[in-house]
Amino acid sequence: MSEQRLRGLPQIVIGSFLMLLFIIAAALNYNMAELISGSLIKFAMNGIFVLALIPMINAGVGLNFGSSVGITAGLMGMCMAIQFRLTGITGFLAAVIISIPIAIVFGFFYGRILNRVKGKEDIAAIFIGFAFIPLMNFFWTVAPFSNREMLYPIGGSGLRPKISLANYFTKVLDQLFVVKIGTIEVPWGLLFFYAVIALIIVAFFKTKKGKALIAIGSYENFCKLSGLGINSNRILGVILSTVLAGIGICVYAQSYGFVELYGGPGAFAFPAISAILVGGCTGKRATVCQAMLGTYLYQTIFLLSAPIANTLLVPQMAEIVRMIITNGIILYAFLNQRKAGVHDEK
Amino acid sequence: MNDCITIQQISKNFGNQKALDHIDLGIKKGEIYGLVGVNGSGKSTLMNILFGNRVISESGGYTGQIRIENRTIAIANTKDAIKNGIGMIHQEFMLIPELSIYESINLNKEKTINQNKQSWLQKISYLDDKENKTLAKKTLKTLGFDIDVSLLVKNLSVNTKQFVEIARAINTDDLKLLLLDEPTAALNTEDSNILMKIIKDLAATGVAILFCSHRLHEVCNLCDKVSVLRDGRLVSTYGHQEMSVELLAKEMIGSEVDQMIREKGCTSEETILTLQDFSVKSPEERIRGLNLAVKKKEIMGITSLSGHGKAALCYGIIGYYPMTGEVFVAGEKKNNTISDSIAKGLFLLPDDRKEMGLMMEESVEYNIVFSSFQLKDKFKKKILKLFSVENMKIIEPYVKKQIAKLNIKCTSQKQKVRELSGGNQQKVCIARAAAMDPKILIVMEPTRGIDIGAKEKILEMIVKMNRDRDMTILVASSEIEELKRICDRIVVLCEGRLSGILDPGASEEEFALALTGELNNE
Amino acid sequence: MKNKLNAGSDMIFPEKHLVPLIFVALAIICYFLADVTPGFVVEQVTVRFIRNSVLVLALIVPILAGMGLNFSIIVGAMAAQASYIIVLNANLPGGIGAVTVFGLTLVFNILIGLLLGKLMNIVKGREMITSIVIGLLANYIYQLVFLVGFGTVIPVNNEHIVLDSGVGVKSMLDLKIYRDFFNSFGTFQIGGTPISVFLILMILAIAFLVYYITRTPLGQNIKTVGLSAIKAELAGINVDQMRIIAIVISTVLAGIGQFIYLQNIGSLNVYTEHLNEDTFSCAALLVGGATIKSAKVRQALFGVVIIHAIFILSPLAGMNSFNNVALGEYFRSFIVYGVIALALILNIRLEENKERE
Repeated sequence: MSEQRLRGLPQIVIGSFLMLLFIIAAALNYNMAELISGSLIKFAMNGIFVLALIPMINAGVGLNFGSSVGITAGLMGMCMAIQFRLTGITGFLAAVIISIPIAIVFGFFYGRILNRVKGKEDIAAIFIGFAFIPLMNFFWTVAPFSNREMLYPIGGSGLRPKISLANYFTKVLDQLFVVKIGTIEVPWGLLFFYAVIALIIVAFFKTKKGKALIAIGSYENFCKLSGLGINSNRILGVILSTVLAGIGICVYAQSYGFVELYGGPGAFAFPAISAILVGGCTGKRATVCQAMLGTYLYQTIFLLSAPIANTLLVPQMAEIVRMIITNGIILYAFLNQRKAGVHDEK
Repeated sequence: MNDCITIQQISKNFGNQKALDHIDLGIKKGEIYGLVGVNGSGKSTLMNILFGNRVISESGGYTGQIRIENRTIAIANTKDAIKNGIGMIHQEFMLIPELSIYESINLNKEKTINQNKQSWLQKISYLDDKENKTLAKKTLKTLGFDIDVSLLVKNLSVNTKQFVEIARAINTDDLKLLLLDEPTAALNTEDSNILMKIIKDLAATGVAILFCSHRLHEVCNLCDKVSVLRDGRLVSTYGHQEMSVELLAKEMIGSEVDQMIREKGCTSEETILTLQDFSVKSPEERIRGLNLAVKKKEIMGITSLSGHGKAALCYGIIGYYPMTGEVFVAGEKKNNTISDSIAKGLFLLPDDRKEMGLMMEESVEYNIVFSSFQLKDKFKKKILKLFSVENMKIIEPYVKKQIAKLNIKCTSQKQKVRELSGGNQQKVCIARAAAMDPKILIVMEPTRGIDIGAKEKILEMIVKMNRDRDMTILVASSEIEELKRICDRIVVLCEGRLSGILDPGASEEEFALALTGELNNE
Repeated sequence: MKNKLNAGSDMIFPEKHLVPLIFVALAIICYFLADVTPGFVVEQVTVRFIRNSVLVLALIVPILAGMGLNFSIIVGAMAAQASYIIVLNANLPGGIGAVTVFGLTLVFNILIGLLLGKLMNIVKGREMITSIVIGLLANYIYQLVFLVGFGTVIPVNNEHIVLDSGVGVKSMLDLKIYRDFFNSFGTFQIGGTPISVFLILMILAIAFLVYYITRTPLGQNIKTVGLSAIKAELAGINVDQMRIIAIVISTVLAGIGQFIYLQNIGSLNVYTEHLNEDTFSCAALLVGGATIKSAKVRQALFGVVIIHAIFILSPLAGMNSFNNVALGEYFRSFIVYGVIALALILNIRLEENKERE
């Protein structure tokens, strides 16, 4: 089937590009062990955003271009944890736990809205996400947090745009159970956390509810005729995605060392979507494997391309190429998806 | 021959299915030519070819020759058809509701302030609304209508819309052939008569007319000549003097040998399903104020021409399309949701198997157990006392047994349904229904697109479920011959209303009359 | 003049004008909170009106063709910027330069429009999201060309526009020589800003052009395609061709819009000037009362005025009432994205209801 062949094309291109980067990196005498352990951290720190796309895709709600909604819930969880001065792993887990109920509430309303725009969720989600950011900016500005480390240092009011986690839970997962294998440092704690989330998703889609969700995503009319609640199941999918995105930002922030408020949540949707598409997802159904493969390919390319571009070419080049790849993959998927869809109709 | 249009050896296949088989037809200038046939006889395919409809070119085009005034023409798209002087009157819902009357009538042939010969210049010249309105008004006047042409189409009544549609088709200088597809479906008798007169007047000006209708008495009144299509073949042609409603009806259905395979009369007297003042609105069809009682253990057939309500009736009962009126299942009132229908023991196997009846990319096994696993809590086990998952220990032997019992041909029970033949796919559907074990099963078009061998097996399975499990079954089908073989009673619908409840022993003629709404019940 | 083409002309007054009325009210509230002179507002709004209105007008035709908000107008804008850079690099002076820029903009955008139109025909049904992704992608390709390609692949002819390193276009370019050319046709002052009469005439001409297109058989065909592609096909209209024409018109107008905008500003922020112009223009059109299904010239022009008034006033209003400029800024970006989100949600819902009937 020619379609099958076409579907593999991006993976082949990206895979060869990655190989090329590794070869160049080796030729330039980069520390390969450092790069590889760096790639593992990059993988797990961004990976949960990609996993978070799965429930929505499988429920037929499409690619979550509005992940800032879920991410905001995670940010609120972390702000609460900082406010109560919870540190270390306790602080991290508290942030996750606090973010979950917030994400459920956000996800519920987000899902209700997405049910109203069935068939055109993508475009609506983008602007719901965009509009949600300035809305939350009001909140960050007026929210009654009182921990000095969170507020603008002088003058101004409200939370500062970039809250340092240095005194709280910077790298608690990254540095949990780090074991050296050969010269490569493996962050087992971080990978373990990622694996747990991935396993929960795999397990969920084995249950009755999970199976119903997948069936609704792929065969909406069939399920409607079978008497399954389409809208309520779609909302469930959206809530799951929102909760996972919230957890995702907590993991990301502990690794990055900062909580980025205000415009921060807007930057995660496109890279995550691009990653899962690279993994071989067609936008109709997604698996954890696709998410993992996609995240690793996508993130590692960026990890490698930045120093290489800086050495060889113009410094800004790395970022530009990165964004061209990100958006190019999404556009390619759209063009291809539509063709596949036409085929299905016949 | 002074034919205006000659059709020679036109054939058309959809995949392996022959839709039209070497049709020859000639229409003279000023002649009104009738075309009758049941659904699937090829009527609309012929119309679509003549008007260059997209479905034709997208499914590989047609073979044969079309000649207009002794010029051979190729019709690849609607633009070609219009260019060659072919016009078509669609049903009224093909108008665009947001446009005004005059915009609709002049669509794609607008007059501009400076008329240009060059077509691209004409396209970007300023519209002459005054002229367009006058033109529209004039055209409507020839139809006997005098209304404000700047009204929007959506604000018009159904029959006014139909006349606007007619005006649109005849508003051209070089109309040679006019195609009419069920033009009177939306009209009452009075307006139909007006339309008949308009068509006659039009023919008198030298336009050739091809008239498709299921209202046989109109065809008999109007047409100079009529041809009957059956299964893609032109079976007979009659002149005005020879035709009669009964004759045409008989020709449409053809004669079939009856094979009774089921003993009748095993139904109980108890009523299990009652419809009161039941109305349904689906995108294509309406059911209007139906009253019906189905007896327990009965197999009831439902038939109509397509678009006349048999699908809407089934989907309405299950709750897929919004309905009004009341439905009682075994005396209990049912609400309008599908989940309530299923809770009350109804289940429906749809006509659109690929889209609604099967999960094409899933395995045979999963398709069979899915509904009962999700809705009836069958085949499940609990993990950690909390999460329900499929219990493969029960599922695998069950599916194996069903595959053997129904003789489903597949390489394994894990094979994807997409890879099965149509007949085996339908068997999978029936196995799914059997696993649900409903009190009332509604089956739509059970034998559509299925080869003959599998057809018999499927009919047998339906009869068997009815006999062994005392299941009440409603079968909606356009295959009257099959319904006659398995049903206790057959409901015939026309234009969304009950046209008659016939005994399976009723004659072909009675069925044909009931289908076209000509059966006199009194 | 009453436009009979309007699909919703049978709607009653308040419902039809509800959206613009709400935003007019917001603008008025902001005006009182902002505590500025009317002169200031008029001056600022007029200048921005001149810079922005053609881009908003560029959105109308694709909406009529049923393709929704065409976010890829940003590609047209970038093509205009590229034309300026190319002409600067060729050292073409004032008059000839300005005319060349204009010519290049037209040529580029016709080609880009044809390409985008083809792409949009592949992704029928999800044109809007595709146009967003195309816009983003084009932005980075544009950066790649002028930041990395310039000085490496593209030869440098004009040393003034290249970065010190010899690679990449400077982030700020001076376009005064072209501005002076247009201003030489006559200017008038609003506040302290000189406005070229030529530009005003051009904007009026384009506004009329868009209106004119809707009043031709071509416009009628495009509109029919937008109302129902299937029914349009039955009337013998070439649907795909109409959609491509709509996108070409939109892209070309966007290019002209950016040409006017830059020409008026007199300088070019090479890498940032075009950012957010797509969403902003869409928001302006919607604020004026258009929807993703119907749009009119007067809604575009009115929308530009209102949204700019809110944009100018809301940070000042935020400053005065909450002692916080930031709040006003959040408010205005919320308006931009919120109004688009709302329009999408309401319209997609309506569309679905219509299909069900």
